[in-house]
Amino acid sequence: MTPRWRLGIVIGLIVAVLAAAIYFPILKRRVKRQANVQQQSEEQARRELVQSLTKTTSEPLVKAKLFWALEADDSDLAPTTVDLPLSNDPALRSKQVLDTLLAGPVDSELRTLPPDAALLAFYILPDGTAIADFSEALATSIPSGVQSEQLAVDSITKTLEANVPKIRRLRILIHGQQVETLAGHLDLTGTFPVNSTVPMPASASQTTNPPKK
Amino acid sequence: MVVIDPAHGGTDPGARGVGGVRESDIVLDLATQVRRGLEAQGFQVLQTRTANENPSFDDRSSLANAQTGAIFVTLHISSTGIAGTVRVYTMSDMAPPQTSGGLIPWEQAQSAYLSLSRKLGDTIQGELSQKFKGSPSNVQTASIRQLRTTAAPAVAVEISNVTVSDKSEMDRMLSGVSEAIVRGVVAFRPSYVTPTVPGIPPGVKP
Repeated sequence: MTPRWRLGIVIGLIVAVLAAAIYFPILKRRVKRQANVQQQSEEQARRELVQSLTKTTSEPLVKAKLFWALEADDSDLAPTTVDLPLSNDPALRSKQVLDTLLAGPVDSELRTLPPDAALLAFYILPDGTAIADFSEALATSIPSGVQSEQLAVDSITKTLEANVPKIRRLRILIHGQQVETLAGHLDLTGTFPVNSTVPMPASASQTTNPPKK
Repeated sequence: MVVIDPAHGGTDPGARGVGGVRESDIVLDLATQVRRGLEAQGFQVLQTRTANENPSFDDRSSLANAQTGAIFVTLHISSTGIAGTVRVYTMSDMAPPQTSGGLIPWEQAQSAYLSLSRKLGDTIQGELSQKFKGSPSNVQTASIRQLRTTAAPAVAVEISNVTVSDKSEMDRMLSGVSEAIVRGVVAFRPSYVTPTVPGIPPGVKP
């Protein structure tokens, strides 16, 4: 092989390495962006599906009580009365009030739940145990801390308590799974009391977190 | 014996501030200060972690549960709340422990200690509310995973908040929080009667 050929091959290799070094990060970014777009589309589709299922415009307007933060950075909740077309079916009614709670108050500073979180499913068992399945954003987008996690759960349980008397306790799932904590602090392995002052039926299952005395 | 638990660590930084402030780092600093303060008062102190690692909730509880007459304090910094305030939490109400052969189930370990935890929490919160205006005067309750499996008077102390632009603001708070925790533990200690019979909660005569 002549020195000229050898030089040509070396230059060719250097050019190929440089091109790869430049193109690889671009390719990586494109793949990542594509994955994000896909994830967002799936989440959006899920939210639209859930919202369409809970819309019952034929229902009469009811004064629903929703609990958002009293003030920004406050750990207390305050009820806000909103006119909503609510179903008489407890599970559907629960979805409707929780979707409105997730949509947030007029003042976004008073939100208790992340704006990108969605309620994926809601069931009520015969013993009054409700199961709310939220999207992963509830766990990943909520500000970290006992105070913020407690505020989020309290806003959910108090809103259910005010609008759906049948529910006795609430279990929260994240994307269909039972998880240990909401965002590192609040225990999600048990249930949270709802309507705790109403006597429980004898068949009520035991809970990790019994009603507050 | 006091077990100090700097929360998070390792791959879990906890709350993060805009200026690169990480909850896991700050609580480790705070734990060291609390440890020194308690040792100066004659307490034996253990830490659930002393470096940037993340033991499981159960591992952290195990350290306290293996001691006799331990007090457990887990340290946190929130990413919300009124800046410059501090809140103390104990576990929410739990069902009475279902003892079997004098043993309390791991999942209900805290249930026998709730009243002692609240007493400890109120004592520490009282100290903190004097130092940090706007802090509550009484202990709060929350269903905190770390506390549930801890068989000892156990509280979580959470400082608001990590969203400071300058880390030195947070550092200035730490000595006050540390002193309040030490004073609270010292004040609580005489009222803590350790169990003499397995399965009987402390403070309850068999």
